[in-house]
Amino acid sequence: MAILRPARAIAAAAVVAASLAPAVASAQTLTQDEALELAFPSADFERRTAYLDEEMLSSAARRAAPDVPIETGVVTYYVARSGGQSLGVAYFDVHRVRTLPEVLMVVVGLDDRILRVESVSFHEPPEYRAPVGWLRQFSDGGLDEDLSLKGRIANITGATLTAGAASRAVRRSLALHSVIDPLGEGRE
Amino acid sequence: MTKLMAVLGVCYALIAVTDATPLVAQDRDSLRITEMERRMEAVAREIERLRLGRDVVEADSTVQGLGPAASRVYLVDRGVSLGGYGEILYENFASEAQNGTVVGAGDTFDALRAILYVGYKFNERLLFNSEIEVEHADEIGLEFAYLDYQVSDDVGLRAGLLLAPLGLINELHEPPVFLGTERPVTESRIIPTTWRENGVGVFGRTGAISWRAYLMGSFDGAGFGSSGLRGGRQKGSRALAEDLGVAARVDYTATPGLILGGSAFRGETGQGRQVAGADVGGRVLVWDLHADYGARGWDLRGLVAGASVEDVSALNQLGGLTGADGIGSRLLGWYVQAGYDLLRSTSSTHELIPYLRYEQVDTQRRVATGFTADPTNDLTVTSLGVAWKPVVQVVMKLGYQLHSNAADTGVNQLNVQLGWLF
Repeated sequence: MAILRPARAIAAAAVVAASLAPAVASAQTLTQDEALELAFPSADFERRTAYLDEEMLSSAARRAAPDVPIETGVVTYYVARSGGQSLGVAYFDVHRVRTLPEVLMVVVGLDDRILRVESVSFHEPPEYRAPVGWLRQFSDGGLDEDLSLKGRIANITGATLTAGAASRAVRRSLALHSVIDPLGEGRE
Repeated sequence: MTKLMAVLGVCYALIAVTDATPLVAQDRDSLRITEMERRMEAVAREIERLRLGRDVVEADSTVQGLGPAASRVYLVDRGVSLGGYGEILYENFASEAQNGTVVGAGDTFDALRAILYVGYKFNERLLFNSEIEVEHADEIGLEFAYLDYQVSDDVGLRAGLLLAPLGLINELHEPPVFLGTERPVTESRIIPTTWRENGVGVFGRTGAISWRAYLMGSFDGAGFGSSGLRGGRQKGSRALAEDLGVAARVDYTATPGLILGGSAFRGETGQGRQVAGADVGGRVLVWDLHADYGARGWDLRGLVAGASVEDVSALNQLGGLTGADGIGSRLLGWYVQAGYDLLRSTSSTHELIPYLRYEQVDTQRRVATGFTADPTNDLTVTSLGVAWKPVVQVVMKLGYQLHSNAADTGVNQLNVQLGWLF
């Protein structure tokens, strides 16, 4: 007598599926508003766009890393404020993982270090998506050599392309942040 | 648009009427600057929308009467996802076996695998994923082909031709992902990579724990042999389905880069066959415990896997196996490996990873009464080599394998592997 004859097994699978079906489905994709709210609850946001010239782009590329491309000189970012005080800056970086794109929100604090990294939109199979715990590794990271997969950032077993793309996105955002300097005097 | 035209009309009228005075000229410049700023902002918004995608930027609006969240499915970018991997393997065998016997193993140079991943995302929750494989340059196979339905952020349903979620290699077998020019023997003979069968299942993640549980086709026990379970795979091809099995896996990410986990499969393998008028059960349990660490230049891995097979006497009869060719009723294997990126502390984007793997496998740890164990199935393999990655997705490995077994007939080999992943 088989321990798992098909009829019984399929019935069991159906029960499992039925029990999961009513689960409240939440979207995998965040909107910009939702992502910003996650990073800075109840803050006000000022949307700004920086237009980088060739010299600024070269400077950002040097600061990022040799394998981190910076392909656009039009950078939109969001400055969070509360009670007249700046709280931080959020950048939305879009990059290709395997074939399809991912959008990461990279939040930089007043000390120019990472406050938070959030996967906003991910179109590859979900098992390749970076876990929240893995993204937390970037927290408090600055633009130094240690903030890379060769440094203190661990790889993701089975999702190396995701890990590489996310690491490059964080370095790119920090490099752009350092060039744009949105929280400094007379900058923008 | 009408409002915009009206505003622009008023602006031009004002400019025309007051063009003669310096003060008015200043106003005109101011208006032009304002208009340029407005246009630049519109262009910047358009660039942002194009780059990030409508599902991110515009999903706060509603579509087809649904609320913002529900309408996202209509905004998501859909389409085909392509990927792949492959490996070319050169094997140069020693001329003498472990006991000094001259052997005539011919060297080989094989386009071992070329794989194309093809996926399609129907909407935010439903996607198809597949792996189409060409082995040895002239054999085509389907390694997996399944549909995923994401019930929530943390739970999904999966159905189709599935990879058994056991071990470290079966689901993640791209050459740049593992050290060694060849897959570990444990994950070839006991966990028979690439092990896939048709089935349905659930998968998910809860905090630091990820899990999968499948109901899937079982082995055909008549295909088992003395060297392991590999011959029992049905690969989803006209597979016998009198017996199904359950496979499950749990992984705990203790800290980023460190995974501890285990997996198991249980099912009968007689597939409705009879011996001497009695049903053959052939219940099999395959299990593994594993640890994997990849951070700060280190690639450390350890795995132990075992299997137990019931009714081996009947299964041996089904397969016509006698003497030392009988199926092992107990199988056990394990390995540990370590590698370190020597270029980690340099500015190079390359990786250069010397590695060492030590492995012991015995596929006939126990055999049925009346059968004997073949000592060649009690083996040890030590692999040492170096992997060079010019980019993380491409690897060239040079490795040497020291083979020994209880019959002293192991044959060492030098391997060169070229692998890629995209």
